[in-house]
Amino acid sequence: MKYAEPETVEEGISLLAATEGARCLAGGVSLVAMMHAGQLAPEMLVSLHRIQELSAITENGEGLWLGAMVRHRTVAADTRLGGALEVVRGAAEQLAHPAIRNMATIGGSVALADPCTDLPGALVAASARVEIAGPGGRRLIPVEQLFVDRFRTCLARGELVTRLFLPRGTRGAVGHHLRFSRVSGDYPTVSISLVLAMRGDTCQEARVAVGSCGPVPLHLTEADQRLVGTRLGELEVAEAGRLLAQAAAPIDDVRGSAEYRRLLIPRLLGRALSLAREHTHG
Amino acid sequence: MADEIPLSLMINGTTRALTVAPERTLLDVLREDLRATGTRRGCDQGSCGACMVLVDGEPVFSCLSLAVTLRGRAITTIEGVDAGGELHPVQRALVEHGAVQCGFCMSGIVLTAKALLERNPHPTVEEIRHALGSNVCRCSGYVKVVEAIASLGKRPGEKASSEERS
Repeated sequence: MKYAEPETVEEGISLLAATEGARCLAGGVSLVAMMHAGQLAPEMLVSLHRIQELSAITENGEGLWLGAMVRHRTVAADTRLGGALEVVRGAAEQLAHPAIRNMATIGGSVALADPCTDLPGALVAASARVEIAGPGGRRLIPVEQLFVDRFRTCLARGELVTRLFLPRGTRGAVGHHLRFSRVSGDYPTVSISLVLAMRGDTCQEARVAVGSCGPVPLHLTEADQRLVGTRLGELEVAEAGRLLAQAAAPIDDVRGSAEYRRLLIPRLLGRALSLAREHTHG
Repeated sequence: MADEIPLSLMINGTTRALTVAPERTLLDVLREDLRATGTRRGCDQGSCGACMVLVDGEPVFSCLSLAVTLRGRAITTIEGVDAGGELHPVQRALVEHGAVQCGFCMSGIVLTAKALLERNPHPTVEEIRHALGSNVCRCSGYVKVVEAIASLGKRPGEKASSEERS
């Protein structure tokens, strides 16, 4: 296996473009575990840890830019991730174990596109955008467009994730990430990520993403719309939950059967909405 | 053929010059090249914590850390935690509380606890349990391990926690 440590994004792109079967190495948690398990044998590893711009966190009036190499530990501790962005901070805080969070990076999480981890759903709920650099320059796309299938992204050869943009969203909006797992630290059986804005008792905005229930995070505008304009009564929440459960494509695995996951979705949605609502100041 | 890469690693305050293939982990290098076998190989998947070391003071899985990425970082292994042949306070507390069991997981637990106490000298039982979430011990129910670590963080005159009383 070949190995390189580029110092600029452009250098990294050239290496990735020049070598068939090259993979980026970010925190290494999933990549190295998959190599140990014989699931991956890259021709070349392009380590990103010496590219300084990938570790930057910058803020502007609209939101926050997180470099791809920012670790979950840092995301979990960043108090700038409040309001709607709390959904991302909370997901990073709850994901796996402390030692994993010390290593794993936000860019690694999105580029891996594992639909059973916490960050993809949280980023969809937060309307995050991903900056992708490639031979043709840089582009910014909604994170939803990045996820194509289980462990598959739209990244072309020679492209890498450089940073994520998290918009602050509506004033007064709050985010919440709720995971249901067999034990703390396990992959979620189901996770609900949502951003909620209230005006008085009325839901002004809702954006819900469901994790671990399909090949990509599940987001259904129709379900969001069932909540908007309502007082989030039992009926509306149940109806939104039913739509999500119907649209979900969960699998049976050791963490729960597909049927069990479908039953969990509306229940967890109700709980996540109540918890988020406690923090709103609509 | 694999590239062989020359590099220096700072391990327990000593610089070690090595030549390693890029796919080799810190765990491989410690155990096989440096014969420092106090760091255990458990699952090789970052699930058990037996291979835990500290990198710049933070617990990380050496089984998932490629050695070539650790140039310039301060690595602490279980061999580096004692002081002049004296057990580290965490090690002493574990012995005193009978929290040693078969000992396979203990290198990782000692390092995780050391990092926790350096960051948070008075952790609650909940914080200790949270920090040890990365470390699995199949011998015990963790009660004595948690008691041992909590005993080090206790302020003078502080009451025993409910876990310690039970």
